[in-house]
Amino acid sequence: MKLRSIFTTASLSFASFSYAQEAPLQISGSVDTYYKYDFAKQPNIGTSFAGDQNSISLGMIDLALKKTTGKASFVGELSFGPRGQYQSLINGDGTDDNSFHIQNLYAAYAFTDKFTVTAGYMGTFIGYEVISPTGNYNYSTSYLFTSGPFQNAGIKGSYAFSSKVSLMLGLFNDWNVYKDLNGVSHVGGQLTVSPVEGWTAYLNVLSGKSAGAPGTGTILDLTTSYQVTEKVKLGLNAADYSVTHDGGGYSGGALYAQNAFTSAFSLGLRGEYFNWKGTGEDSDENILAVTLSANVKAGGLTFIPEVRFDDGSSAMFVKKNLNPSKNASQFSLAAVYAF
Amino acid sequence: MKLCMACLWCFVGFSGAFAQDQQGLQKSEQKVLQKQNEQQTQKEEPLLSFDERGKYIYYEVVSRKDKTAEELKQCAKAYFKSLVAPKIQLSAQDSLWTGKGKLIINKTAFVLTRPSGEVRYQLYLDFKDGKYRFWLTDFSFIPYQRDRYGNFVPATPIGTPLEQKPGKLNAAEWESYLKVTAKEAKLFADKFKRAMLLDEAITVPTAKAVPVQRTKDQKW
Repeated sequence: MKLRSIFTTASLSFASFSYAQEAPLQISGSVDTYYKYDFAKQPNIGTSFAGDQNSISLGMIDLALKKTTGKASFVGELSFGPRGQYQSLINGDGTDDNSFHIQNLYAAYAFTDKFTVTAGYMGTFIGYEVISPTGNYNYSTSYLFTSGPFQNAGIKGSYAFSSKVSLMLGLFNDWNVYKDLNGVSHVGGQLTVSPVEGWTAYLNVLSGKSAGAPGTGTILDLTTSYQVTEKVKLGLNAADYSVTHDGGGYSGGALYAQNAFTSAFSLGLRGEYFNWKGTGEDSDENILAVTLSANVKAGGLTFIPEVRFDDGSSAMFVKKNLNPSKNASQFSLAAVYAF
Repeated sequence: MKLCMACLWCFVGFSGAFAQDQQGLQKSEQKVLQKQNEQQTQKEEPLLSFDERGKYIYYEVVSRKDKTAEELKQCAKAYFKSLVAPKIQLSAQDSLWTGKGKLIINKTAFVLTRPSGEVRYQLYLDFKDGKYRFWLTDFSFIPYQRDRYGNFVPATPIGTPLEQKPGKLNAAEWESYLKVTAKEAKLFADKFKRAMLLDEAITVPTAKAVPVQRTKDQKW
């Protein structure tokens, strides 16, 4: 009887709470887990996530809240687990023993239908791939993703000139940090163009001097995708990152092609060329990586079986007997649930 | 004594049987009522039918004998102008008006909700003196996915027609999209028909001026 009263009171309280709100609170998230087997029996390929060899390992649980009241809104997104913690970013205090990681934490205000200002810690506007496994087609990530920024804290203003063109300009901290040790040091911008329905291109730039860096680093990035037909989608990411005073950098391009054979089964291929810029006497090194993934969907669950072959310009991997090797290959199977 | 016991057993047995009969009767009555309720619910639940192209359609013809086609058009125009979001942009060709609309499909649990996709549709309106008809068709579903900033956005710009049967793995989810679409189409129709019953065009209500209480007034 007591239990029933408690439930009734709780229901009434929640009902009146929800009545008092303008729009309901949105809650969403994802959970992912994976198994990876490298054919050289070593954890060879060093891109982000899916790193554990011959182990059923965890990705992360990701929880996001969003609320909009009139023109104001906020997003708070936290992740728990290796993918969202030490495999992507260090903690705010510079240690790796964090128990969670912030993916997004920002507030936004839409002054008009066309102009919005956002401030806080946000997923980066650079690049094609993201930390959340629900945002990527392939489970393993590209070198471009691993080498670029994951998140940017800052303040940005976005203006939509039309439904086809918009511009974002902002001031940002160093990459991937909650607080900037050398002051707000980066400026960035994004020009979004949607020439035809289904095709969107983002031209991105982010430049600034990070704390302790030898010079000013500048990324120029092009990210574009085109839904050619109901079944076929193409994507491209090309980027160049240079740090002045011989501080190195990288450049590369990745092409994505996906075909949905049915609403539940699709195949996707990613081909990537990536170049590390040498510093001092060191010469450049590059790598060619090909990844074939399938997406098998059942409701909110997606299985991602995947094979990947990486071929480097030098012996950057190891064989079974630990001798150096120029190439590496792996198989992985991931389960990603989005809610 | 034996006779008394026999009578008692007979009475108990009879009353038991009667009670069982009663219970059986009550159960059968309940079943009939339940069946009637189910039938009523099924009747109430809006279902989409198919048009001559094999596409899902929500179709209605409404009589308004006291109105001319032009008056009906004015009424419809005012209604669509008053819609906040999602807006429907209409284009007119003689008596036939067409427009594209969408409805958002939300997954809700208790006080929490999130959009799981949208259904886009084509709207047709046709006016004649004393009656009008409208239909919603070419329904296509576009799933939403969370972008890098935590917002739900269309995962693809090209929708999947609702007539396209998904595999077994996604059949239940697809069925729910169909049901929501049918329900929303009915809601849209009801709102539209209500608005068309009004004699005057809908105007956005303006806030009432709050009377000022004057304390400095000496005539109190």
